Amino acid sequence: MDWRKAVRAALHAATHVPQDDVIEELAQHAEAMYEAARAEGLSPAEAEGRVAGQIEAWRIEAHDLRRGPQRPKAVEPPPTAPTSPFRGITEDIRYAARLLRRHSRFAVLAVLTMALGIGAATVLFSVTYGVLLKPLPWPHGDRVIVLKETRGGKAPRFGGFSSTAYLAWRERATTIEEIAAWSSGTATLAGTGDPERIRVTSTSASLFAVLGVRPLIGSLFEAQQEGSPVVVLSEGLWRQRFGGDPTVVGKPLDLDGQSRTIVGVLPDGFAFPDRRARAWVPLEVRPPANNSLSMFNAIARLRPGVTVAQAASEGSARGRFAADTGMTTMAVFGGDGPIDVSAAPLGDALAAEVRRPLLVLLVAVGLLLVIATANVASLQLARATTRRREIAIRAAHGADGARLTQQLLVESLLLGVAGGAAGLVLASLAHRLLPSVLPPDFPRIDELGIDATVVLFAAVVSAATSVLFGTLPALQARRVDLVESLAEDGAASVGAGRRSRSARLRLLIMAGQVAITCVLLVGASLLGRSFVALLTADRGYDPSGVMTARVMLPDWLYSAERRYAVLDQILGRLAEMPGITRAAFTSELPLTPGGSTAAFTLRSRSVESGVISAQASPRVVSGRYFSTLGMRIVEGRGFADSDTQGSLPVVVVNRAFARRYLGDFPLGAQLPMGVGYETDGREATVVGVVDDVEYVTSMEPPLPEMYFSYRQLNGRVKVPVVTFLLRSEGDTASLASAIRLAIREADALLVADALMRMDDLVTRGLARPRLYAVLFGGFAVLALVIAAVGLFGVLSYVVAQRSREFALRAALGAQPLDILRLVLQQGIAATSIGIVAGLVVAVALTRSIAALLYGVTPYDGLTFVTVPVALLLVAVAACAAPALHAARLHPMRALRS
Amino acid sequence: MMYLYMATKQLRRELKRGSTALLILALLEERERHGYDLARLIQERSGGEIAFHVASLYPRLYRMEDEGLIGGRWVEKPGQRRRRYYRLTAAGKKTLAAQRSVWESFFDALNRVANIRPA
Repeated sequence: MDWRKAVRAALHAATHVPQDDVIEELAQHAEAMYEAARAEGLSPAEAEGRVAGQIEAWRIEAHDLRRGPQRPKAVEPPPTAPTSPFRGITEDIRYAARLLRRHSRFAVLAVLTMALGIGAATVLFSVTYGVLLKPLPWPHGDRVIVLKETRGGKAPRFGGFSSTAYLAWRERATTIEEIAAWSSGTATLAGTGDPERIRVTSTSASLFAVLGVRPLIGSLFEAQQEGSPVVVLSEGLWRQRFGGDPTVVGKPLDLDGQSRTIVGVLPDGFAFPDRRARAWVPLEVRPPANNSLSMFNAIARLRPGVTVAQAASEGSARGRFAADTGMTTMAVFGGDGPIDVSAAPLGDALAAEVRRPLLVLLVAVGLLLVIATANVASLQLARATTRRREIAIRAAHGADGARLTQQLLVESLLLGVAGGAAGLVLASLAHRLLPSVLPPDFPRIDELGIDATVVLFAAVVSAATSVLFGTLPALQARRVDLVESLAEDGAASVGAGRRSRSARLRLLIMAGQVAITCVLLVGASLLGRSFVALLTADRGYDPSGVMTARVMLPDWLYSAERRYAVLDQILGRLAEMPGITRAAFTSELPLTPGGSTAAFTLRSRSVESGVISAQASPRVVSGRYFSTLGMRIVEGRGFADSDTQGSLPVVVVNRAFARRYLGDFPLGAQLPMGVGYETDGREATVVGVVDDVEYVTSMEPPLPEMYFSYRQLNGRVKVPVVTFLLRSEGDTASLASAIRLAIREADALLVADALMRMDDLVTRGLARPRLYAVLFGGFAVLALVIAAVGLFGVLSYVVAQRSREFALRAALGAQPLDILRLVLQQGIAATSIGIVAGLVVAVALTRSIAALLYGVTPYDGLTFVTVPVALLLVAVAACAAPALHAARLHPMRALRS
Repeated sequence: MMYLYMATKQLRRELKRGSTALLILALLEERERHGYDLARLIQERSGGEIAFHVASLYPRLYRMEDEGLIGGRWVEKPGQRRRRYYRLTAAGKKTLAAQRSVWESFFDALNRVANIRPA
């Protein structure tokens, strides 16, 4: 007889299976007993019968057959009547700490849940606070406003403010102290060390006065220096290139081949327009000549006591007296209506694009926090019920309700403080990741951090949530019936598990959690689907396998003729590189900010007068541009090798152009050749129509565009910045160094920058939608996990409470399946109520994120079907374990316990 | 009569519960023993009077091990399967001495009052 096998088999039938060495020890005992019985003269069958009786006795006692601590010493409760209130609190804290250490599993679960909730809320609060609420880092930042100009309600196609409106206002400003113009670009920094591209801001001298900034060393340029080649360095650039040399003022700096004199260094805290700015050079706003109009960004500082609206109306009024720039205005604004100036506080303007998403995320994280709090409240409620005896005994010893409430609240506060501290740790860890997670153009990114306000927020949230999750159980505890609690011996009577207030309350909490999770999941699904739609959107070209490299050829170094020659040479070299299937360049690459636009008239067959005025963006491209980028030609042809300087001038327009200006038969129409670059009276024939290309984002409608081949522009290229595009079949990333070399070889002064895969450019443009989708999705998944754990907890508790009932049912003939169904029903009922409520709330709320969605409606059918199904599946999974446990309960064991 | 029977039964149970630890400690004072040995000796030496439930022996042993009164270890002897032996720890010895003196003075008192002689 293998006694070990027999003992193991018998004990495995019991609910508590003892450890292996206990089984081994019992098996020895059984064997010795058998041998003794045989020695007494019993037959093998009789001896086996005696041992079997013993094994049965062990089976019944299996729950006590465990090595290791079984009944830990009771934690001594604090005295009922403390000598002083302070003493009472410290004793309560000590008692609570000991209790929590004893119930470490509960404590860890509660603290972890709160840490996740509070941590997520703290991170999001710190970002929201840093971006939307924190005062700007510049003195009088609250009086700095951003100005925007429109003409007849039409916004400019690039820039925000025109030189004419700027000058008209600057001369006679009454509501503002200063107005400043600036624009950002990049320049090649040469001289000592490798040439590099740096971000340079051109600005009027008044910018420094508007923002009230002082130099770290040296001075800042003055208005009369706006025409001179001077430069102000950022502290970072000064340290990097000059090792923080204090005598740097007066030294030269080579920017884009132009030598500039360093006049001063600005502290890193200045960071305007953003932290990427490395140098500032003067921007001279000249009165318009030859109908030219320059566009830039404008900010101003209000006089004290003046409102933003007052400044805006003064700006509009002054702007109406601005010089008229005719067709240029048409080109830039698409109209020449009256000037309107709008103004917004700088802080608001910086955060304008992220305000709504941040608020939406803040609501999401708030909901997550509610779920976490509800979970801990639910856990506490369960403990309060099982602690009825302890509380009853303390009450019997004379502790009054207030004393007990205090003790329970102290316990909750301790959990809350621990959760808050852990949450703060999580938040500070998350903060280290923020710079790499947030898109680089995220506003005020370098001002984000965990400061006193954020810590205060975490503390307040911790305290508030602990009071919330502590109050319910404390109220529950005060209702304890002394006699009943002691008489019941801790176990609920039959049916009590279902009937008890606590159990009902917990199921209600559960339904609420499911509802909130449902709302979050719907939001996450919508944002996720929207992001996927953006990612896979038809942009009108194929970004995969294309590498881009930007080259700057500034006017003072390259004549238009020289530029033509250099570009021609580079293109030739690149096309010959191994692995390259196509090479091209363009004056304007999709997904890069900036751009140009031209206004002109063209003959039209569709209007009576025969002439219409048009605005379109001209692009100068090389012959194979369309095929390199994978653009579709929908009518006619693209450029051919035969399109040269000597051949008939041709132009290719996009579908939007054709639709708006050329009607049904675009081919053969005549446009001014080279409009926007140089017009020489020639006319170009429209030979092809290409599909619309998404230049900026998928959210905006396509605008009219026209493409000219550089080879037909009289051997001159007038654009200072071009981007080369290379399509290869192999790995695009490895091409980078070869491209750099080819460009350097063509001209030693040239530096290729923005070497990027077109794919990356697409993804970079989608950084914000991705961030929102990822964050929202993360919150939703956390909520789902927390809710699932909660559901599991509630049902396990209900099963424990009702174990006697289930045992009785089993004893009276209920099948395990019946009991399984009974438990599942309870969980699924709570979940279903939650799902229905959640869907109703979601329908009402999704409208608020409609502005963030692309390619998916707020009432997306797929989302509203998958989310409930997924939630139900998770709920069934979470309920399965407690339900199976209930079905497997041994009637005798359960009734005896 | 019924009351008397119940009182006797309860007394037996209480005595047994209170004395099991003492018996185990006393048996282990002689030498280290395994569980079956302990059960057998208690039964034999008490002449069957304290034939206590073997099912509760092991939980008791584990608890005493937990409390540090006894120490258990697996011993392998040539030709035998390994067995778990228990021995008395220093704390166990102290507890045994204390329990003995409690029982002694208890029996002494019982004897003086109720004329019960300890065995």
